[in-house]
Amino acid sequence: MRFHWTRFALATGFALIEHGRNRFAMVLVTLFVPLWTTLAFVAMPDTPAHMRLRATGETLAPHGNELTELSGALNAVTLITGFMMFAATFSGNSFDRRLAMAGYPRAHLVLAKVTALALISAAVAAYATAVTCLAWTPRQPLLLAAALFGAGLTYGALGVGFGSVLHREVEGMFAIVMTSIIDLALQNPVTSSGADNPLTRYLPSYGAMQASTAAGFSTSPVPRHLAIQFTWFAGAALIALVGFRRSTRSTLPVTAQPPDPKPRNGDFSLPAPRRTAEPSASLSDTETP
Amino acid sequence: MEVRDVHHAYRRRVVLRGVDLRLRAGVLCGIVGENGAGKSTLLKILSGELRPSHGTVRHGGRFGYCPQHVVLNDALTVRQHLRFLQKAYRLTDLRYAEQVMDVLGFAGYADERAGILSGGTRQKLNVTLALMHDPQVLLLDEPYQGFDWDTYQRFWDLAVRLRDAGRSVLVVSHLAYDTERLDELWRLDGGLLHPDRVEGA
Repeated sequence: MRFHWTRFALATGFALIEHGRNRFAMVLVTLFVPLWTTLAFVAMPDTPAHMRLRATGETLAPHGNELTELSGALNAVTLITGFMMFAATFSGNSFDRRLAMAGYPRAHLVLAKVTALALISAAVAAYATAVTCLAWTPRQPLLLAAALFGAGLTYGALGVGFGSVLHREVEGMFAIVMTSIIDLALQNPVTSSGADNPLTRYLPSYGAMQASTAAGFSTSPVPRHLAIQFTWFAGAALIALVGFRRSTRSTLPVTAQPPDPKPRNGDFSLPAPRRTAEPSASLSDTETP
Repeated sequence: MEVRDVHHAYRRRVVLRGVDLRLRAGVLCGIVGENGAGKSTLLKILSGELRPSHGTVRHGGRFGYCPQHVVLNDALTVRQHLRFLQKAYRLTDLRYAEQVMDVLGFAGYADERAGILSGGTRQKLNVTLALMHDPQVLLLDEPYQGFDWDTYQRFWDLAVRLRDAGRSVLVVSHLAYDTERLDELWRLDGGLLHPDRVEGA
């Protein structure tokens, strides 16, 4: 048990250190979330937007600026987690491969990445919920935080997937931004007349959008739509996992690298130089075929 | 390490046409070849990073691989890299790694982040990560890139010491410098390995 725990804890700690050293992401979290959500709240008109919420079947008339603020919070959370996970995967892929080939258990590396993603998503979702609550009062703040958390997880997993298959950083950033724009713009009743189209229920943040709208303007629980969001996360995570397995596999026969059954003790040491003269001098007593 | 009839092609471009190699214990072996001769492809296959189109590779024990391009995590310090690989290799301590660092002359950088190290120091860490579990078979792809002359000399000294202790060391390079330090020298040409003369043998 200790074997598993130490490897999981070390990999998780290093994954968090890596995210923490992504200064641009830290600035985005600190500034982009309040900036985007506040601008959406202040700049949009507060005229009621009539809409039918599929999750509860209710007809709602939320203020346009509050609805857009929710969409902005989802947008900010998904872009940040997607970007952070993409950046970590893109830059860390080769080193993960090196670790796996050297014998680091891949399951522990994967679990560590998922744990780091969950902690980041939870922190960003809590922050975005708090910022939202400063501007107006959603009916169910905890549900809002859960919806943002689910969307953050999903985009984080998509970021890992993009990081595994794309070859340039700009490609990954473009993929994440475009996915988020299409995903959220189509669902926003303020900006899209097609928000009621049945196709929107297949979008990556559909469950989170429904749940967060219910959290903002309704008192009904929406467990099914939260579940839809977590199913999206599970699907995206599965694809990311397949990508990770592919990029860290070894082509050598399994029997070719017998792992040491016991940890090697540290009593081995570098052999002493045969002579201390110039290194090339050692060749005089080197046998060559 | 035993390599038998390894072929490889990238789509229609054939790179390796039947490479055979047997690396015995206690041998310091070199493979040279011009740019694009397929050296890195061969080493990727030997290290398990790439599956050959045809042929087999077998390793007989612990092995270490130092890739041509430095593979580090820029966010982590030198010490954090060592701790990560210590768990991967299942080592109880880092004494051997510290000895290698001393030989290569970068023990003072243990708490520096990899991302801010100079190119030569990054390469020293790259080599150390491949060596720190005392591999029986060691594959090194252009291992002395970015080394200053003094480090270059100490690197060869280290390679000879490992050979003398019974390890198999394979160094791949595009230049046939210092071939007099090698026990065996092969030239990769036309997708095949040809025995080459060892200078000063």
